[in-house]
Amino acid sequence: MSKLALIIEDDEDLANIFAEALRRVGYDVENVTDGKAAQERIRADSVPFLVLLDMHLPHISGKDLLIEMKKGERFSNTWIMITTADARLAEDFRDQVDFAMIKPILFGQLRDLAARLKPKDQI
Amino acid sequence: MNYLERLITISTADPNDARKRKILNILLAGTGAVSIVAIILSVYLLTTGQQQAAEINIILWGSIAMFVGILIIYAINYYYSGRVAASLFLIFLSLIFTFSDTTEQVSNGRALFVFTIPIFMASILISPASSFLFAGIISAIISWLARSIGLEPNYPAIIGFFLIAFVSWLSARSLEQALGELSIINVNLDRVVAERTQALAESLSRERIEAGRNQAILNSIADGVIVFDKNWNATLANPAIRGMLDIPIELVVQKNFRELIEHPRLAPRSRGLLLAMIEHGTQPIGFRIEWSEKTISVSAAQVYDNQRQNIGTVIVFRDFTREAEVERLKSTFVGIVSHELRTPLNAILGYAEMFKETVYGPMNEKQVNMADRIIKNTQRLLGLINDLLDQAQMEAGKLTINAQVVKTADLLESLHGLMDKSASDKSLKLTSEIDPDLPDAFTGDPARLQQILVNLVNNAIKFTEHGSIHVRLFRHDDNNWGMEVSDTGQGIPKSEIPFIFDTFRQVDGAATRSHGGFGLGLSIVKQLVTLMNGEIKARSKLTEGSTFIITLPLIIPEGISTKWRDT
Repeated sequence: MSKLALIIEDDEDLANIFAEALRRVGYDVENVTDGKAAQERIRADSVPFLVLLDMHLPHISGKDLLIEMKKGERFSNTWIMITTADARLAEDFRDQVDFAMIKPILFGQLRDLAARLKPKDQI
Repeated sequence: MNYLERLITISTADPNDARKRKILNILLAGTGAVSIVAIILSVYLLTTGQQQAAEINIILWGSIAMFVGILIIYAINYYYSGRVAASLFLIFLSLIFTFSDTTEQVSNGRALFVFTIPIFMASILISPASSFLFAGIISAIISWLARSIGLEPNYPAIIGFFLIAFVSWLSARSLEQALGELSIINVNLDRVVAERTQALAESLSRERIEAGRNQAILNSIADGVIVFDKNWNATLANPAIRGMLDIPIELVVQKNFRELIEHPRLAPRSRGLLLAMIEHGTQPIGFRIEWSEKTISVSAAQVYDNQRQNIGTVIVFRDFTREAEVERLKSTFVGIVSHELRTPLNAILGYAEMFKETVYGPMNEKQVNMADRIIKNTQRLLGLINDLLDQAQMEAGKLTINAQVVKTADLLESLHGLMDKSASDKSLKLTSEIDPDLPDAFTGDPARLQQILVNLVNNAIKFTEHGSIHVRLFRHDDNNWGMEVSDTGQGIPKSEIPFIFDTFRQVDGAATRSHGGFGLGLSIVKQLVTLMNGEIKARSKLTEGSTFIITLPLIIPEGISTKWRDT
């Protein structure tokens, strides 16, 4: 069964690159480019295996989305990876997420990292 | 008493003359009193009829004549001349003495001695030498009286009069001399006192002008100034403080610093800063406090007197609201720029990588090569942006050190991960070693240490064409550890070494173009090292290579072997 990755990223090009990198290593990819749409998506039934969350988003910030995901148990088995260009912001959230990635994020880097991820409940 | 004093005192320019005239007045008053008593007594005797009326009448009229004479002499003394009055008085006195007894007694007998009185007085009242004049006059009188009754003049008495005149002259003269000297001394003293008074007045007025000028300067300063004594009581404040803190000066002066900082407009965090300043006696230059809506920069300086004794503190408050706003905008701007620049560069990098990784189908060698050049140039651009952002953050004082546990081996491992490719791309060897004395872990900021190493190695790769780059982590001494990066590159001219850590500087201006970069790398390293309380030194020999040595304080977390003492 292929793993679902949810990419929450408002920059179309970056979203494309991230999606391509993840597809390369067998992920199914869903893409949302807006905070509001992202909120609706994370409230929907299917819980992704991996979430790539940009911290700068229109309408609803990445921080608020992160708080919502961390609230219940639904996302406890999901790998959460935040992406930001702000090194300080990454530092601030490092303890709350699985990966805090500072842009630029390389194609190969994301691909290799995503390839190594195993289901959380099997670790 | 005052009235009497005024009656006998005559004010003239010559104090000596005034003194003589005053003595004459006293004598006149005495004689006048005697004549009044005589008049009253005569009138009493005439009314009671106890004595012969003719004799008493003579005494009465004589006393009245004497009183009138005294009044005339007093008037002359008061309004005209002391000398004339004194001469008249003494002649008058001599005449009274002449007719006070029988001619025989006056010329030769018991009444002779009374004539010494006018002789002596003349020396005091008129002039020292006038005693001789009166000795002569009196000698003539007694000689005439003696001859009138057929006797020889009394020569021994005449000699005696002249001797008394001589003694009077001597004593009066020395008295006048002494008084004269005294008056000269007095005049000098007066002059000195006048000069001193003048000097004092001038210095006082100078001080007043000086104080006024200082006050004017203080008043015209746009910054708020409060002067505290050594017990932190405010003694002085300038008007600008009113506008800045929006409270009247009266509420500032005479208040203690601790009272002032209780003001509700002061933000709690700022109160803590100010309290720390007085409790620890440390005065950081220009820290900031929040007062209502304002940001105020505070600078404090201790004041010392001539003996180097601390007599208080001057605190200058500067309205920093606008600058703080600009800084906030700048920081926001930097944040936006960093995000807006990095995102498209990330996209370029990502697409180029995808070409290279043949995501969009097979590529020939030349195409892969081009993708590589795109990646490399984009990475360079990203490096520059990172440098600029770090520099901007450092200038804003925003760059901080996050102390965590750093694993020594991790530092080198991630360095190799990041830099091996750049080195091998230039056919350079990147080698490293860890001094066995260095603990396995210590406290530091791993990201910033990594940044220092990456910058130094990057720099070494940039300026080395052949050979190798060697990184060594070592134990410097009990309390310090170090990082050393050496290369076999072109080296740095000795004259340039002092400047290599300056912002925007490369040894050769042209190098900026051939090697890339603004010359910010070393400047950032230096600032980071300083921020970590460490030191950086550079050693270099032209054409043989350069070595950068950094020493940093070694803090070993609990539970980690220090190694140093174990061996």
